[in-house]
Amino acid sequence: MSGSATLSREQLLPSWHGWSTMLSISVADRLAHRGDFFVGTLFRFLPIVTQIFLWTAVFSAAGSGLIAGYSRNDFVAYYLLTMMARSFSSMPGLAGGIARSVRDGSVKKYLVQPVDYVGFLMAARVAHKLVYFAIAAAPFSLMFFLCRDFFPPLPEATTIAAFLATLVMSFLLGFFLEATLGMLGFWVLEVSSLIFVYMLAQYLLSGHMFPLDMLDSIELTQAGFTLGDLVQLMPFQYTAYFPCAVWLGKIEGQELAYGLLVEAIWVVVAAAACRIAFLRGTRRYSAYGG
Amino acid sequence: MIRYLQIFGTFVAASLVRDMTFRLNFILECVTGLGWMAMNLAFYLLVFSYTPEIGAGSGWTKPPFFVFLGTGLIINAIVQAFFMPSAEEFAEMVRTGGLDTTLVKPVDAQFLLSMHRVKFSAFANGLVGVALVAWGVSKLDPAPTTAAWLLYPLLLACGVAILYGFIVMLAAATILMGRNQSLYDFWFYITNFSRYPAEIYTGPWGGPLRMVCTFVLPILLVVNVPAHTLALPIRTADVRLIIAAVVAAAVMLGLSRLTFQAAISKYRSASS
Amino acid sequence: MISSSSPSPVIDVHGLAKHYRVADKREGIASSIRGLFHRTSRTVEALRGVSLSVDPGEFVAILGPNGAGKTTFLKLLSGIITPTTGTAEVLGHVPWQRHDDFRRRFALVMGQKNQLWWDLPAAESFRLHQVIYRLDRRRFEQTRDELVELLEVGRLIHQPVRELSLGERMKLELIAALLHEPEVLLLDEPTIGLDVVAQHSIHTFLRKVQTERGTTVLLTTHYMKDVAALCRRVVVITHGRILYDGTLAEIIDRFTTHKIVTLDFEQPPSETTIASWGEACERDGPQVRLRIDRERIAETLPRILAGQSVLDVTVEDVPLEDVIADLFRTGRETHDHASDPRGEPA
Repeated sequence: MSGSATLSREQLLPSWHGWSTMLSISVADRLAHRGDFFVGTLFRFLPIVTQIFLWTAVFSAAGSGLIAGYSRNDFVAYYLLTMMARSFSSMPGLAGGIARSVRDGSVKKYLVQPVDYVGFLMAARVAHKLVYFAIAAAPFSLMFFLCRDFFPPLPEATTIAAFLATLVMSFLLGFFLEATLGMLGFWVLEVSSLIFVYMLAQYLLSGHMFPLDMLDSIELTQAGFTLGDLVQLMPFQYTAYFPCAVWLGKIEGQELAYGLLVEAIWVVVAAAACRIAFLRGTRRYSAYGG
Repeated sequence: MIRYLQIFGTFVAASLVRDMTFRLNFILECVTGLGWMAMNLAFYLLVFSYTPEIGAGSGWTKPPFFVFLGTGLIINAIVQAFFMPSAEEFAEMVRTGGLDTTLVKPVDAQFLLSMHRVKFSAFANGLVGVALVAWGVSKLDPAPTTAAWLLYPLLLACGVAILYGFIVMLAAATILMGRNQSLYDFWFYITNFSRYPAEIYTGPWGGPLRMVCTFVLPILLVVNVPAHTLALPIRTADVRLIIAAVVAAAVMLGLSRLTFQAAISKYRSASS
Repeated sequence: MISSSSPSPVIDVHGLAKHYRVADKREGIASSIRGLFHRTSRTVEALRGVSLSVDPGEFVAILGPNGAGKTTFLKLLSGIITPTTGTAEVLGHVPWQRHDDFRRRFALVMGQKNQLWWDLPAAESFRLHQVIYRLDRRRFEQTRDELVELLEVGRLIHQPVRELSLGERMKLELIAALLHEPEVLLLDEPTIGLDVVAQHSIHTFLRKVQTERGTTVLLTTHYMKDVAALCRRVVVITHGRILYDGTLAEIIDRFTTHKIVTLDFEQPPSETTIASWGEACERDGPQVRLRIDRERIAETLPRILAGQSVLDVTVEDVPLEDVIADLFRTGRETHDHASDPRGEPA
């Protein structure tokens, strides 16, 4: 195993054949459970419906037409966008899977083969996401079309480009954060409790439940440092809140550029943490005879 | 009847022993449940910092709304403690032939299948629910009437009965269709609507939705009616809903039993 | 086979049949997509008209290969499933009506399936049993202690069931089944997966219990050992039909046409010579095993002994396993050639 902390291109992109096989198996698997798939995808949008009603009710007595700078329509658009952002950044089973393969020893085969474990996981995730998008594109498009009135007019090309950039980065960030979490399995036996805490924090602080701007009204110190400011320092916002806020035009100009930069730095930090955790972990693992 | 209580008693005792044997798991489950609940609570506290009422004129200001939340927690705790654990094991039971051994015993199959497992960790959230209701009620003005207090436990029971009916019908579907993966998902989506006050469903889409979810699929009667009865003044329109809740409970219990019996009679016992 | 002069059989079955519709599952993406819109199905005939009568106190083995319909038959008799056609009466009840009076008087034990609580000691499951079957406490304890002692599992009933071996679990399952002193005991492959020792102790136990309490026992199995050890009456089921109903001795008598003769020669004879005596099944140097027609043994054997120097000779029946295997195969051939409109092999 090389001591380098960087991922080479070759390690990130395995052969086309491998991808296409994974793809076709995933598709067949989805179609085999078609009843669940039909119903499941449609039902996934049900909570949005209740959100629309809830926020309408909240606004009806709120006094002003804006809450933390968002109108009622903005809220609905926001939730739909978080669904999209989460489809990029959520990594179901990644951390748990890594921890499990450490626990039952199946990680050994990756340490022996000339295959980069992290790269392999990344490739598998990309394949997985591609399949998911291919199949979910229809229901997603339908929902967005039906709800198009909630959205503000289409943003400028630069904003859209920035939005896409944040989506790609949120995928990477989500991946490396969860992968690092899974790597803790090299040191800790029951990672599931840690995963739970992470999920909880993510759910609350990523903007999945509500736009993080709402936290700006909660002051933590005399000097005006708000809870919103605190949450801004954490990486969670980039997995849901940030892309959505960008699309809705809540973050623009210099603030946007700055945000993109910070997000990129977080991606690098998480990737590095993941790589270091992997190297240290495997060294420790082999030292203990596995 | 007494025999069934005795049998249930053995189920409770056995489940307690089981939960205490896997103590760490029990604690984790309590913590997990409390964690998600706390986040939900935090969310609503945040919302109430921006608005005094959810739904202008609905009456759901902070204290009544917390009674609503607490009621929801209590009802869900009862369902999650007494019925969901058995329901979750159900598909596995059908698959491995456990249903066969149940049908051979001189006890009602529905009773055995829906109540043999009790999960005590669910009570954690239930206790929080009680606390929330207590806090909310203490801040209510005017305080609830005696009638409201008398009706509250009855309506809680009706809410539980309606949810139980849904569970049994889903179980019957499992017997017939043999697959379960979506049981838990289904459950989440069905109960999703019941987590909010019915008053938020207004407008050209909301009105009909509210009607359907009250009188056809009575989910909106589960938490809404008991919470509304306790926390807000009872008007004539509300009496109609109270009656509807009781009727719905009876109908759900009866209908689910019929569905279950039908499913059993068509049981193929495909495992071997 | 205790024919008491009680007139009515305890199990009375006429023309019992069970058909299933099974949806076809396909492989591959294209078929999966097609499966979205159109599903084909076919009919599986698990039981094709079975008639049987069992008197009180009988011990009957139901023998058949996998998929023959034995388990389906037992499930019908216990009321777990309803038949497509035919009638059955057990203890005067129609099983699939599932009356409590009926369910209190019989017991079903299925091999490799658990009725006991997994995480708790068997003693707890026994207690539940007592409540469910409304057993008088003293009598229940007496029965329980007797059975536990018989099977020598006193230590085990206080251990969580999941910690026990398959054999130990099976013994406890049997005890649980007998706690309410059922008049009819239905056993579905109870010795499957068990080691020889466990099998033996269960055989002994079942024999004892059956003779002492006069329980009517129906036991399905595909092991000859179970049959040979436990009962005289054998019902052979293949492809959903009863092929034979009688004793083991009759099976051998009826279904074998030859015997096995093993000869130890001083000088191994030639192939042609052997062929003139009968069909050779095994040849190991100077030792030869032959199948010789029963009618011809009387004339062939002296001929062999006269013409050769024989050190040892043994004449045996065809092993029961082989007879039964032949029987199963016969059943299959009959089934395959039968004019079945669907024409699909099972």
